[in-house]
Amino acid sequence: MSSTVNLSAQQREHSDFAERVFKESGVDVLKCYQCGKCSAGCSVHICGGMDVSPNRIMRMVQLGMEEEALRTRTIWACVLCSTCTARCPRDIDIARVMDTLRIMAHKRGITEGFNNASVFHNIFMDSIIKYGRVYEAGLLVALKMKQSGTMFADLPIGIPAMINVAFRLPKLPPKMKNSDQVRRVVENCKKIEGEN
Amino acid sequence: MRYAYYPGCSLHSMETAYDRSVKAVCKHLGVELWEIPDWVCCGASSGHSMGHLVGLAIPAKSLVKAEKEGLDVLAPCAACWQRMVWVNHEINNSPGMKEKISRAIEEEINGTSKIFSIIDFLASFGMDKIAQAVKKPLKGLKVASYYGCYYVKPPKVAHVDDPENPHLMDDLMQALGAEAINWPFKTECCGASMIFQDVDTTVSMSKKVIEMAYKAGADVIVTACPVCEMNLDMRMEQINKKFKTNFKIPVVYFTELMAYAMGSVPQQIGLDSGHCSDVQSLLAKIS
Repeated sequence: MSSTVNLSAQQREHSDFAERVFKESGVDVLKCYQCGKCSAGCSVHICGGMDVSPNRIMRMVQLGMEEEALRTRTIWACVLCSTCTARCPRDIDIARVMDTLRIMAHKRGITEGFNNASVFHNIFMDSIIKYGRVYEAGLLVALKMKQSGTMFADLPIGIPAMINVAFRLPKLPPKMKNSDQVRRVVENCKKIEGEN
Repeated sequence: MRYAYYPGCSLHSMETAYDRSVKAVCKHLGVELWEIPDWVCCGASSGHSMGHLVGLAIPAKSLVKAEKEGLDVLAPCAACWQRMVWVNHEINNSPGMKEKISRAIEEEINGTSKIFSIIDFLASFGMDKIAQAVKKPLKGLKVASYYGCYYVKPPKVAHVDDPENPHLMDDLMQALGAEAINWPFKTECCGASMIFQDVDTTVSMSKKVIEMAYKAGADVIVTACPVCEMNLDMRMEQINKKFKTNFKIPVVYFTELMAYAMGSVPQQIGLDSGHCSDVQSLLAKIS
């Protein structure tokens, strides 16, 4: 991401992005003055899990770079540990902004920033909508089938650990009296949000 | 004392050692747990990223059942706990949200049940009372208390303890007679559910936590979160292979040490079989 951005044109044409993020999240990203403390303490960023640092995401929101921000790996790689939020001297809930950008990307069907994350969230939601609770064995199989490059990523845990996990992991889906509860809630939420 | 108990999916799946040890500690302390009937998943780690309302309404579906029973909630999983705390927070701070959540769950919710994490719940007994319940003191055991993120951050919502230097779990370990070691990565993130998306990054994050506990001389790392437990405990060999290290630190729930010190036998609480890391060295040290 080392392209040149025409700041004046960018802000003239896309200044409503920060406003929409504020409306969705209640967080005013315009307060950010780019100290970089969020990025300095971000474990995911330090370990190489992000393509753009968190403070750059804040700047992208300020500049209205919606298309670019929603296509970063960063918004999906954030694990919401909220260390950034806890340390921000401007009292910006950065983790909440990341989650809000995820919701925006999800609603628009933009997944290319980190496709494996999007696949995970969809499979997770499918699991709890279907069973009411997470069916971990089913979730793991579905992930291996649909994600790219993760098929053998867990093998290095070693044979003893694998045996232990295989022993502990319930083989059958969770049993509930009414496993339809989450599905109803999700459908109701769609209706309520559709009214606005 | 009666509390609504929300175990969450992990405690009824892979992490039964947490479920069993929490119940054992509560029994030792005379706490009655009422498991929320037909509870559903809290939605973490995905619900809240699919939509703001849906992220609140899914945990509210179980929370409202405790509220109707007039009980406060005990939620041992850090992720479940935080999702439920957000529900109350939004009901009390976002205009119109109470009505929206109530409509989504088809029941009225008021946000009146307090939601306890297992850390502040047990600490609220007072360290004297905890120490009195100890039958087998853990003398000489060096414990690294690992709090992870969700109990302490973001501090406006999740304020079990200090966000940078929490101490309640350390206090509890000392009440058991163990030595709580001073180490700097108490709240550094383990990588959480990113383990299902990007194993390399997550393992690098977990490695930093284990390495710091190792350098600080810990005999054992204790956690209070199923995700932390899985990332540190299950990935130890993978970390050793990837980084050419030789870490052999047992990683267990702090409630397992508490239940053990209060008289439970390891087999009852899953301390012997519920982990991938080297619990045999721990059992040898404490027995």
